[in-house]
Amino acid sequence: MIVYIAKRMIAIIPILFVATLVTFALVHISPVDPAEAYLTAAHIYPTPEVLEQKRKEFGLDRPLHVQYLDTLKRMVQLDFGTSYLTNKPVWDEVKSKLPATLELAVWSILFSALVSIPLGVASAVYRNSWIDWLSRGISYFGASIPQFWLGYLLIFFFSVKLDLLPVEGRGDWQNVILPTLTLSVVLIAVYTRMLRTSVLEQLQESYVEYAKARGLRERSITLKHVLKIAIAPLITGMGMSMGKLLTGTIIVEQVFSWPGFGRYFVEAIFNRDIPVIQCYIFFAACLFVICNLVVDLIQTAIDPRILVKGRSNP
Amino acid sequence: MFKSYRKAAVLFGGILLLIALAGCSGNGTNSTSADQAVQDAASAKTVTMSWPRDIGTMNPHTYNPSQLFAQSMIYDPLVSYGKDGKLEPALAESWDISKDGKTYTFKLRPNVKFSDGSDLNAEVVKKNFDAVLKHRDTHGWLGVVKLIEDTEVVDDLTFRLKLTESYYPVLQDLALVRPFRFLGEAGFPDNGDTAEGVKKSVGTGPWMLDEYKQDEYATFKRNPNYWGTPPAIDKVVVKIIPDAETRVAAFEKGDLDLIYGEGMMSLDAFKQLQADDKYVSKLSDPVGTRNLLLNSSNPKLADIRVRTALHQGFNKKAMVEGITSGLEEPADTILSKNFPYTNVDLKPVVYDVAKAQALLDEAGWKMPAGGTVREKDGQPLEFELIFDKTDPIQKAMGETLQAEWMPLGVKVNLTGLELTVQIKRLKANDFDLYFWTNYGAPYDPHSFVNVVANPGFGISETLSAIPMKAELDDKIHQVLSSTDEGKRQELYRSILETLQDQSAIVPISYLKRTAVYQPKITELLFPGNRDENPFVGIKTQTP
Repeated sequence: MIVYIAKRMIAIIPILFVATLVTFALVHISPVDPAEAYLTAAHIYPTPEVLEQKRKEFGLDRPLHVQYLDTLKRMVQLDFGTSYLTNKPVWDEVKSKLPATLELAVWSILFSALVSIPLGVASAVYRNSWIDWLSRGISYFGASIPQFWLGYLLIFFFSVKLDLLPVEGRGDWQNVILPTLTLSVVLIAVYTRMLRTSVLEQLQESYVEYAKARGLRERSITLKHVLKIAIAPLITGMGMSMGKLLTGTIIVEQVFSWPGFGRYFVEAIFNRDIPVIQCYIFFAACLFVICNLVVDLIQTAIDPRILVKGRSNP
Repeated sequence: MFKSYRKAAVLFGGILLLIALAGCSGNGTNSTSADQAVQDAASAKTVTMSWPRDIGTMNPHTYNPSQLFAQSMIYDPLVSYGKDGKLEPALAESWDISKDGKTYTFKLRPNVKFSDGSDLNAEVVKKNFDAVLKHRDTHGWLGVVKLIEDTEVVDDLTFRLKLTESYYPVLQDLALVRPFRFLGEAGFPDNGDTAEGVKKSVGTGPWMLDEYKQDEYATFKRNPNYWGTPPAIDKVVVKIIPDAETRVAAFEKGDLDLIYGEGMMSLDAFKQLQADDKYVSKLSDPVGTRNLLLNSSNPKLADIRVRTALHQGFNKKAMVEGITSGLEEPADTILSKNFPYTNVDLKPVVYDVAKAQALLDEAGWKMPAGGTVREKDGQPLEFELIFDKTDPIQKAMGETLQAEWMPLGVKVNLTGLELTVQIKRLKANDFDLYFWTNYGAPYDPHSFVNVVANPGFGISETLSAIPMKAELDDKIHQVLSSTDEGKRQELYRSILETLQDQSAIVPISYLKRTAVYQPKITELLFPGNRDENPFVGIKTQTP
């Protein structure tokens, strides 16, 4: 097991290498000069002298390969440099933004799991019943509604009209409700359909017939046997969602003035704040790999056959 | 084996839950502060406003990410820029300019204290100037920075500035929100270099930073040592709300007392709030002009008849009123009359399609039989208009111009660009038509004429093919160094007349700041300086 984890961790290295290389290339292909973008954002007229000075200050006057190697060397030591915009160490800024994003991500995953697991199972077991139609309705609604619009609608009804919840900001538990709901609707839509399909597939399997023949109760078959296997794709989906949510729920953070990672990143893109962009990509790549690893570990815990298959077929 | 994996899964689930709970419990202290902020907002003498970005580091000598309005709350200038560009004493009670215009002697206001109780004197003024001048390149965009030769403490309350050459807008430059505002001794880092940061925000302004949570909110309380008339309100809460629609929702819910600034809400939202009797809305005097550059370095636009035809060939009034719903005012001149030296009568270019067509005919641009676009020497009369694709007003105006000029036989191709790319093309002189806004108060008219004369900003390039360009540049150099008020006024008149006649910079509309507020605010005055905050002029109902 430890070897398996170690192998997976080592696999991060080439992924990170490619991720940093692509980011570096994209930032430098962009027609906008970061020094110029900085000055424009700062309302300073970019005279040639100031531009030259800024380029030098940011190290942009050095050859590209030197810039890249230097960036890589520092990243390995978790030194992401200083933000062009705030003049503060990028890693410190990221650390200060992460708890807010983490909070929203975890609540959204938990809430959507809480809703979609019973709904997905029920809509499969009671196929074509009212609960199935309800779940389909929620799924179509959730999958098709733009997130920012849903956010505005929720603000309009629950905050402005009914005056029940705060419009924006990160304060207490009340502030978490609307952004969590906005994020969860899409997740619930996807998870419910995924689980419904998966449970329906499993219900066709011969072990279900056999269990019925053994006289087990339907509920016991569904919850103890079918769900355990049917939930696998959902866990993979959740792992992917967790990665996405942790790298910033950009639109929702913007609409609800949530001081998280996504908002920070968007501002960095607009200002061509290269150290922040590089740190973000590096971090996002790490997060995705780690989330995938955790998902795989959970999968093997639920269904140890995966590990056995892996060993027999290296 | 299985059990240990299951344990791992349970453990992971547990960790997730703990993180979520820790995230929330971590907010316990925030929520106390936020609750406090909300309670304070409810009090009559507190005004809550929103701003799209974090207020920044509150360093008076640096730019991004510090926000101008917040810097202007804490730090004062030597001279302040009042209504219609009138220069008023601030930290300097009076000033004396030598005959050659190269020496400025400031008499500091006595008994002025910083918010920490320390005294303002010539020594600390010099220290601030020197900290700024240590980074001349960074501040080189500002005319006065390049010209300062020496800073000198004459006595405790007298400070002298020596320039290498005469430059009349020195006082306007010193009135800006940054970089020449004054930090108290206690705020300086040990090495005195404020570019590396400040220890704390100690200023002489009417406000002090009280509470601050990055990207969430900032509260300001009154500076008890403020030298001027104290503000009528006790506290200002600034909530950071990046999204314009959310800002309007927070205002409608009553969480905000005021939405202030330029571009703080969509036109639709402004119209909706303006029409609502529950709220008060106000527009400032013009703070800048939206112009359309007709690049004369393009051979087709080098002919004044073509430029004038384009200028005359669209209904400006209908376009501006239709698109901006009264938020902007149709402009007849490049600079509005409320700037220094710009209150001159210039002949407006009147909308006249027949004249426009006649001018194009005269210039040799003929409509081919059965065609829709005029041609000359086989070339179509076709231009590209580049605009900021995130700006709905620019887009709508571009489309209107395209439609209005079509019957004239002029084809316009619209290209929406990211702002930074758009600016890059402006400076590279790679455009035909371009929406450009001047700098406004307190930068104009001197900053405007500066970019007219000096290449690198796209404006001088736009004018490069007008026949009297060299003469114009010469007048601009004269006006900036002139020490004679009358001569300066005359030169400005001549410069503005030439630009008006040439139609290479076509004025479209005057931009205004907007304020929408709850009736709790009984008085709000727009400061003369575009970048200043409005809080000194705010009055609220007494409870």
